[in-house]
Amino acid sequence: MSTRETRPGSTGGEATPGPLHGGPDEDYTPEQLAAMRREELDLLGARYDGVEILHVDPGPEPGSATEKRAVRQVGWTFALAGVFAFLFLVVYVGSGWFLPEWSWAEEGTAWSALFTPLLGLFMGLSLALVGAGLVLYTKKLLPHETAVQDKHDGSHFDRVTTGATLVGGYHNSGLPRRKLITRSLGFMGVGVGVMLLAPLGGLIKNPNTGNPLGRTSWAEGVRLVRIDGSPVRPGDQEPGSLETVFPAVPGGNFESDAATMLIRLRPEQVLQDEPREGQADFSYGDYVAYSKICTHAGCPVSLYEQETSRLLCPCHQSQFDVTQGAKPIFGPATRSLPQLPITVDDEGFFVARSDYIEAVGPTYWNRERI
Amino acid sequence: MAARTATAPGAPTTKLGKAGYEIDDRLIVAGPVRRTLNKVFPDHWSFLLGEIALYCFIILLLSGTYLTFFFQASMTEIIYDGSYDPLRGQEMSIAYASTLDISFDVRGGLFMRQLHHWAALLFVASIVVHLLRIFFTGAFRRPRETNWIIGVVLLILALLEGATGYTLPDDLLSGTGLRIISAIILAIPVIGTWAHWAVFNGDFVGTEIIGRFYIVHVLLIPAILLALIAAHLLILVKQKHTQFPGPGRTEHNVVGNRLFPTFAGKATGLLFVVFGVCAALGGLVQINPVWLWGPYNPAMVSAASQPDWYVMFLDGSTRLFPAWDINLPGDYTIPALFWPTLVLPGILFTLLLLYPVIERKLTGDTVSHHLLQRPRDVPVRTSLGMMAIAFYLVLLISGGNDVVADKFDISLNAMTWAGRIGLVLLPPIAYVITYRICLGLQQHDREVLEHGIETGVIRRLPHGEFIEVHQPIGPVDEHGHGQLAYGGAPVPKKMNQVGAARRAIRGFFSPVEEPTAVEIDQRAEGRGLSAGESDRELTTSGRPSEGGRPSDGGRPQDPRD
Amino acid sequence: MSTTNPQSDAPLADAGTPVDRARARRRSKHRRRLANVAGLMASLVLTGSLYSVIAPAQAADEGTSESAAEAAGRELYERSCISCHGENLEGVPNRGPSLIGVGEASVYFQVHTGRMPLVRQEADAPDKPAVFSDEEIDQLMAYVQANGGGPTLPSGDLREGDLAEGGELFRLNCASCHNFVGQGGALSSGKAAPSLESSSDLEIYTAMLSGPENMPVFGDNQLTPEEKRSIILYVQTIDDMADPGGAGIGRMGPVAEGLVIWVVGISAMMFGIFWMGSKA
Repeated sequence: MSTRETRPGSTGGEATPGPLHGGPDEDYTPEQLAAMRREELDLLGARYDGVEILHVDPGPEPGSATEKRAVRQVGWTFALAGVFAFLFLVVYVGSGWFLPEWSWAEEGTAWSALFTPLLGLFMGLSLALVGAGLVLYTKKLLPHETAVQDKHDGSHFDRVTTGATLVGGYHNSGLPRRKLITRSLGFMGVGVGVMLLAPLGGLIKNPNTGNPLGRTSWAEGVRLVRIDGSPVRPGDQEPGSLETVFPAVPGGNFESDAATMLIRLRPEQVLQDEPREGQADFSYGDYVAYSKICTHAGCPVSLYEQETSRLLCPCHQSQFDVTQGAKPIFGPATRSLPQLPITVDDEGFFVARSDYIEAVGPTYWNRERI
Repeated sequence: MAARTATAPGAPTTKLGKAGYEIDDRLIVAGPVRRTLNKVFPDHWSFLLGEIALYCFIILLLSGTYLTFFFQASMTEIIYDGSYDPLRGQEMSIAYASTLDISFDVRGGLFMRQLHHWAALLFVASIVVHLLRIFFTGAFRRPRETNWIIGVVLLILALLEGATGYTLPDDLLSGTGLRIISAIILAIPVIGTWAHWAVFNGDFVGTEIIGRFYIVHVLLIPAILLALIAAHLLILVKQKHTQFPGPGRTEHNVVGNRLFPTFAGKATGLLFVVFGVCAALGGLVQINPVWLWGPYNPAMVSAASQPDWYVMFLDGSTRLFPAWDINLPGDYTIPALFWPTLVLPGILFTLLLLYPVIERKLTGDTVSHHLLQRPRDVPVRTSLGMMAIAFYLVLLISGGNDVVADKFDISLNAMTWAGRIGLVLLPPIAYVITYRICLGLQQHDREVLEHGIETGVIRRLPHGEFIEVHQPIGPVDEHGHGQLAYGGAPVPKKMNQVGAARRAIRGFFSPVEEPTAVEIDQRAEGRGLSAGESDRELTTSGRPSEGGRPSDGGRPQDPRD
Repeated sequence: MSTTNPQSDAPLADAGTPVDRARARRRSKHRRRLANVAGLMASLVLTGSLYSVIAPAQAADEGTSESAAEAAGRELYERSCISCHGENLEGVPNRGPSLIGVGEASVYFQVHTGRMPLVRQEADAPDKPAVFSDEEIDQLMAYVQANGGGPTLPSGDLREGDLAEGGELFRLNCASCHNFVGQGGALSSGKAAPSLESSSDLEIYTAMLSGPENMPVFGDNQLTPEEKRSIILYVQTIDDMADPGGAGIGRMGPVAEGLVIWVVGISAMMFGIFWMGSKA
């Protein structure tokens, strides 16, 4: 033990060589190690790591036919990987230089449609061949050893000593006795924690000011316009047609809740039409207008089957019947699509008579209260 | 000290060796490096599944970083003026326009985009396959519950990462997805509208969400993923691998290859293969062609709008769930959307997270396990797993039920009902069938151990009865019954598996050996039936190579009683 | 009903030209959904029997007040259509709708895509090889147009429009049923919106104009002829366009992609790791 107590540098700068790490360095002197072969050293180190080599299938004999074949395979695999890497570069760099332009054009030169596939093909082949070569190398040319490594359970000694150190430190801090400090530490912890999280409060906004969820840009006298901004007259649509209309306000065609389906019913549908209670006068002649935003998850409901009067939502397949006030008849939606009351203004164009009388779009907690 | 080592016996003489000494003088890493190089990894294909996920993650980091050089996460509307004619002059967000630019105006940009997307799909798929392997072999049991939990959290984060990435291009498909995400957030009882306002900074769609999802996608979740992957691997190294039972394998060792060079070679090879597969898919198979989808407009939608496959099961549950709003007094509503999109995944992932605890409680098995189980030996767990898979598959298929309906000419409404009924009926059926299969396989294992392998040789006994000759695979008692007990390892069931087959003639497409030469070879080696015809004793050992190559599996050495 | 029809902007003159042109463009490839064997058999039988009655019909006299084409069309109508659409195009309840006011556009679409004559009543009339020859379709159109009136065929170049605007209109009005780029999609209860992949310009145009079956009608005051041409330009451009990113896998989006990653990606990986785990 005496040599270990002398730490280098602690003796006033005298250059006394210290031991390396103890342990194996004590067991094996440099002279002993120098006398050992490399294989022995490898196994010796492995044994120190709890690994025992049970069995080694040596690789192919040097110079044997098997080895030559394997070397050829591996060599060609790597060479081919290099070739494909080079081809990738040729395609990548050469397009637009000595090869046709890569950039895509509407009429699509054959090369522009080949550029990306060729890049993928060459890079994919190149990298996959690198991998294949490495695996072939390990499988065919390296010796196969079967090693066993011990698994150790936890050490009781370590547990006890570590526990003693931890508990000792806690005990020495006096915290178990000094209740005031414990309590103030707890208080401080909560306070600092909340303080550090508090700036996230900047994310919070009040969703209830101005009733944004219950209101759209539709209002009395707002014209129904198409996506290009042109207004709609009653004569414009055929029976059995659907037009997506937007409120005639700036940016109306990008509003998330305002999109409305203006549907002209066929005469048979008009006869079957049973509007929701109190909404009989929301339609204009054979025209009805329903919100396009699904009451389930907010997708635009716009698959209109004019013969079966169904509106289908492509996201979750809710189906609504336009002759029954757009009542849901299949799928996960629970509420009818809100109906927009419409009429015609002095110039003969469709206008809204008011906003939707209920919130459009998906259901939420306090929707009924808005 | 340098002087000492330089003169000491066994000091390095080569330049490389000297450099190594110089490094170790400064860092003292020789010990840890040797321990790492000597670490033993079990040699079984199923242990590489998690590695595929790891390599996908590396590819995602690299390709994702490349994409950030060009992508602009802004929702400001501009007029597109790029190379793609069918959209030129259209109003669209900068996010979408820059995605188009990556696709059409950056050399190789489309390739990188597609590589990134395919790697993402492969990432989640390989996590799922890895998870199934861990589950069915019982690798999550004590002491590995922590790593199981980290793994499940990694899966959840991968889903979130995928969903946020899916949203970024702001095309018509991802915008539809975002709309549904918005509706899901709104559907949370009590705080739904507040949560929506916090996430979107107001009503749908606002101008913030792409930027916020972007930073979540490129910084927040990847950082957590990286940290958790590091923890996952550190714990793995610390606890060492599990292994399948086999000769020489115990609860207290690991049999396999040392990290260097065999395992390192294979693992690096796999990294390149994964990279190669992703690159090949990225170039050869078009994914998410956003230029065909068009810019997002809340009034537009396409038939067959779906999320990527890993979120599709939630879309499926949403399609199947009945229209059940719960109206509470005071005009409050719990929307139907809440259950299939938040409660269901909440329950599913909680069950998944807690499964090790649940199983421990049910079985009372609190012992540490390092040997894996064959699925057939744990029929209840295996059947539960198959039940979960059946449940998941019904949801997954329902997530694409409109495509199935269209392609196979089935009624869409019928698909929905089939999904609803299947969701209730198929899992129990899967449970019962799996349970039966497990028991059958168990019984067959015991039968082979007791009576031997069917040889296909029919013999007529003196009194006229025909019997099939069985080859015992271990010592037999006076009645000819095998004395080996089942040890959790695969039982050989064909004569080929106990060395009766001739060695395969080498050559992939055409033989590179003379068949006759191989036969002579084998007679000399004493292998194969032709050799056994003379004096070979097949009755004493499971495998001729047994003992030499424990990694082959086979008969356990110490029969249990 | 005919009174509510707006006047078509498309001039009647020279109606034959675009028909011919569309026919020239009509591609030979017909992607079909899983062929219904029974339906195919039935249509074969029908074709055969129709052929036997058409042959004498062509020899019919041509000297009445109606034009020769109309007369021939009447012959065809009375042989093949009358049982469902009635003696005077008025329709038969529960069998077939009235053809008054549908116009030659509708006749062209229904007969040229093979939807009519119907083999049997089902959720959708499936498209199939046309039963009538082009000349016979012209005759039927003439007959229905003369007796029922309605939208007429357009003339001129049906792709004369604005590509990007066509795309926007397609996504707003058409994509919800026909998918992003016209791959088709499922509707409720077994109905489906067909793929536009093999549709000719004129078929798309007449479909918009007439609103066949469950498809909504897009009259000329709703989608102007120019807008219709833009949509056709977009659909056909995208259809003819090569996929810059490799195999298009049906341009279906996530379902096809998910299938590929499991069937191709995971399979490739499994193959790789099996190979790595196997002994040399």
